[in-house]
Amino acid sequence: MPTTTASAVCTTVGNNILLRLTSGERDVKLKALRELKNQIIGNRTKKLSFLKLGAVPAVAGILSDAVSAVDVADNDENDRIVKDIIVQSAAVLGSFACGFEAGVRAVLDAGADILIQRGCLVEEMPLLKSYMEVVDAGARSLKMIYQSKMAPKYDFLQEENMEFLLSLLNNESENVSGLGASIISHSCKTSLEQKLLFDAGVLKRLTSLLGGSLIQRDASLESIATIFKNNPEVVSQFVGPDTGRTLSCIIEIVKDRFARTRLLASLCLIVIRNASPCYLQDVGIKTKLINNLLELLDDPGRVGDEASFAFSSLIAEKEDMQKLAFEVNGVDKLYNHLQKGSLHPRRFEGILLALADMCSKLECCRSRCLSLQVLKLVVDALAHDSSDVRSAACMCLRSVSRSIKFIQNLSAGSFMNETIVIPLVRLLDDTSTAVQVAALGAISNIVVDFTTRRSTFIRLGGVKLLVQLSKSMDSTIRLNALRALRNLIFLAEDKCKEEIFMELTASLLASLICDPEPSVQEQALALVRNLVDGRINSVEYIFAEDGIILDAVGRQLRIASKAEIEIQGMYVLGNVATGKESHKEAVMDQLLLRAENKAQSCIIKFLQSNDSRLRTAAVWAVLNLTCSSSPGSSGRLVKLHDAGIVSHVKNMVNDPCLDVKLRVKTALEQFNSFDDSLILCIFSPAASNNKASTSCLQFLTVRAVGELSHVVDPSSKEEESIANYFRFSMKKNKKKKSTRTVKFCFDVPADSL
Amino acid sequence: MSLFWIVIRQLAEIEAMAMSKKVITREEWEKKLNDVKIRKEDMNKLVMNFLVTEGYVDAAEKFRMESGTEPDIDLATITDRMAVKKAVQCGNVEDAIEKVNDLNPEILDTNPQLFFHLQQQRLIELIRNGKVEEALEFAQEELAPRGEENQSFLEELERTVALLAFEDVSNCPVGDLLDISQRLKTASEVNAAILTSQSHEKDPKLPSLLKMLLWAQNQLDEKAAYPRINDLATATLEDPAI
Repeated sequence: MPTTTASAVCTTVGNNILLRLTSGERDVKLKALRELKNQIIGNRTKKLSFLKLGAVPAVAGILSDAVSAVDVADNDENDRIVKDIIVQSAAVLGSFACGFEAGVRAVLDAGADILIQRGCLVEEMPLLKSYMEVVDAGARSLKMIYQSKMAPKYDFLQEENMEFLLSLLNNESENVSGLGASIISHSCKTSLEQKLLFDAGVLKRLTSLLGGSLIQRDASLESIATIFKNNPEVVSQFVGPDTGRTLSCIIEIVKDRFARTRLLASLCLIVIRNASPCYLQDVGIKTKLINNLLELLDDPGRVGDEASFAFSSLIAEKEDMQKLAFEVNGVDKLYNHLQKGSLHPRRFEGILLALADMCSKLECCRSRCLSLQVLKLVVDALAHDSSDVRSAACMCLRSVSRSIKFIQNLSAGSFMNETIVIPLVRLLDDTSTAVQVAALGAISNIVVDFTTRRSTFIRLGGVKLLVQLSKSMDSTIRLNALRALRNLIFLAEDKCKEEIFMELTASLLASLICDPEPSVQEQALALVRNLVDGRINSVEYIFAEDGIILDAVGRQLRIASKAEIEIQGMYVLGNVATGKESHKEAVMDQLLLRAENKAQSCIIKFLQSNDSRLRTAAVWAVLNLTCSSSPGSSGRLVKLHDAGIVSHVKNMVNDPCLDVKLRVKTALEQFNSFDDSLILCIFSPAASNNKASTSCLQFLTVRAVGELSHVVDPSSKEEESIANYFRFSMKKNKKKKSTRTVKFCFDVPADSL
Repeated sequence: MSLFWIVIRQLAEIEAMAMSKKVITREEWEKKLNDVKIRKEDMNKLVMNFLVTEGYVDAAEKFRMESGTEPDIDLATITDRMAVKKAVQCGNVEDAIEKVNDLNPEILDTNPQLFFHLQQQRLIELIRNGKVEEALEFAQEELAPRGEENQSFLEELERTVALLAFEDVSNCPVGDLLDISQRLKTASEVNAAILTSQSHEKDPKLPSLLKMLLWAQNQLDEKAAYPRINDLATATLEDPAI
């Protein structure tokens, strides 16, 4: 078979070369090195086979010997050969490390990176330093190594390392300064490192490199972006006479003739823009960046692939940028690229993500996507080989499905239903977790509809899958599965709710409410809220299995500290309180149960919260518990009053949030309808003897219209001098229809009178 | 040289033309052309750029001495590049590869397409010299793996190997591969890659100017009838058709 012969030949040749590498004669060694170099450059297969033959350690050994031999070198001839050996072996090692992971690993294992650094670039070798070729060869090879993800992390915190780095940057040779910049781009990750580099003044040198050769410019742009990335502090310190110059320099480079340079310049500006809101905000520069990136998409190579990712980072979460991009036909342009077909996976992923970002907030973008029939291509992408592409397609779908037109199913009929739902359901079982999460995100939106999509989903066994995923070990999956279920159950029909509940079971729901992850708790509570919302039968669900769900809700409310959880929990109780008497009483029990070490019911804390959503939710619950049409409401009102809840509600009459204010108004009207007037007696023992206390007694009659005057004894030091109070309710107004029985009670502590 | 002047002036003139379609006589046209001023220094730079980019070292050196125009690349580096180009043009591809790797080992490592084309050229040379077995072995060992990595390489490889299937290679469908023009194409590709790695633009400016001229004339054709340049080599003005 030809193949065996070929590889046999290869091995023979290979072995021959390696044999000659071990020769004692320098000439032979040098020749063999050159041959090896010429065999492997550009040829991945050869690299692999030479790797297996152990070439890397052999060459590293030769390099090491040659470097030590420099000291001993005594004449020009020897010098030259030793120099050549160093150059060639560095080139060989650099080539092994070029874009070839196994090669990088082997080179690092052999300690070649340190060897090259010491041998070619460090001051201690004055003889070698005079040979620019050696320096260049070493710099090139190290740069290859540092371009790989596996390269060792450069420790900027060590002073000698910093000095070495600066010496590299300041070197005249473009390979050496390029190496310095490469090291920064590769190794600088933390904000501490960014600050160190900034403080060491590298930016000055990097800026001057911007005016250098192509290699220097590109390397410098990458480094500058690395130093500023996500670091507002460093960017803000960027202020000075140099700033304007550097920025305008980079802005000029955005128009460079080389595509890669244009991309790197744009990325640099985007990084600066995202880190600090005061730079690069005028419309001119925004439009320039958008147009530049859209144009770069036309590049057929890697630059075009990466341009879409840059575009995403420019517009993500920024409505103004998305609007600008829309105005220059960004959606259409992206769609045109999508249409080209047989795209490289990276490019495909990038464009899908860019579309997802474009449609994340603006209806005009989504609407345009729908009319361009983008969904067809996106749905095809759901079955792509690459998991990144599948994931990106789901995210795109998730954004576009936020469109009104989509929800109302105005565009196309059954195509939308089965063609979308089927592949999505399949993805719930995907091997990649990220894809599952993305699919769940898309499903969450897709099931919010009132047409056939929901039933299609259920018919395809979607509920089973979602419930299964809600038991996953991975909390992100649990979270997203619950979100999808929550949306599925939103305003669902009884039968649908029943199916879902049967699959979920009360015990699972209760345990999810008490999940270790707060965000999962929140979704579980929201799910229950949607479950019990609607008709009275729905409320029954919460009492299943001896009311474990209700208990769980109550428990979470008492111990929770996150507003979102408290809000959902209160709405659950509020919804349950719309049910029968027994339901309302059950809610009362939960509310009045106090947590350990807490003097008051949790609802009081909610009523006083800074978060208006929480206050609204709490007032809703009170409203529903005391609605006039229910027979038990007056009793509940008293209990609420006893717990101090009513007075808190009354205090909220002038709440700054309109929602809250309106609910409170309704609540107070309800309270009023119960005809009770409450007489509050407040007296405070100002002095220690009884006579003085008696004289401080003050009576106040409070009409049941929500006016509560709060009187504090002026001689008392504390605000809370309402130490004791009398409370009794008595018959009131002739105006009211019914007369109520008088309830009379005193609460008087023994020592106060 | 005077041809150049006409061409350049013509270009400048067309750009300044008015909107309506009208007829312009040769007299009017030549008068307008004469009114346009072009600097000699710019012309010299264009010429130097052409010589240097294409690699005509001796001509560039001579031109520098005679006109005083400074080249934008160090003439010394041109020599290395020209050696590579020449090697490819003579069919010594292996030699060319060695020279490129000596000049800059990164070029072929980071340019898979160029590397493939060089290897392809090697295969063509082996076939041209009748070394069929060696050619097959070479294709199997060196080129097949490249084809596996990339669909378009595979197609080109298949075309090349097809040469072996024909008795009369000069008349077969893929016979163009054996042409000198194929060598020149590869040589040009290498030249461009080396130039780029040295941060220079790989194309001379002159062709772009001529392209612009043709484009501008096409645009103007919609609006006016005027003396056109139809033959770029002679750059003579031809009267407008009436």
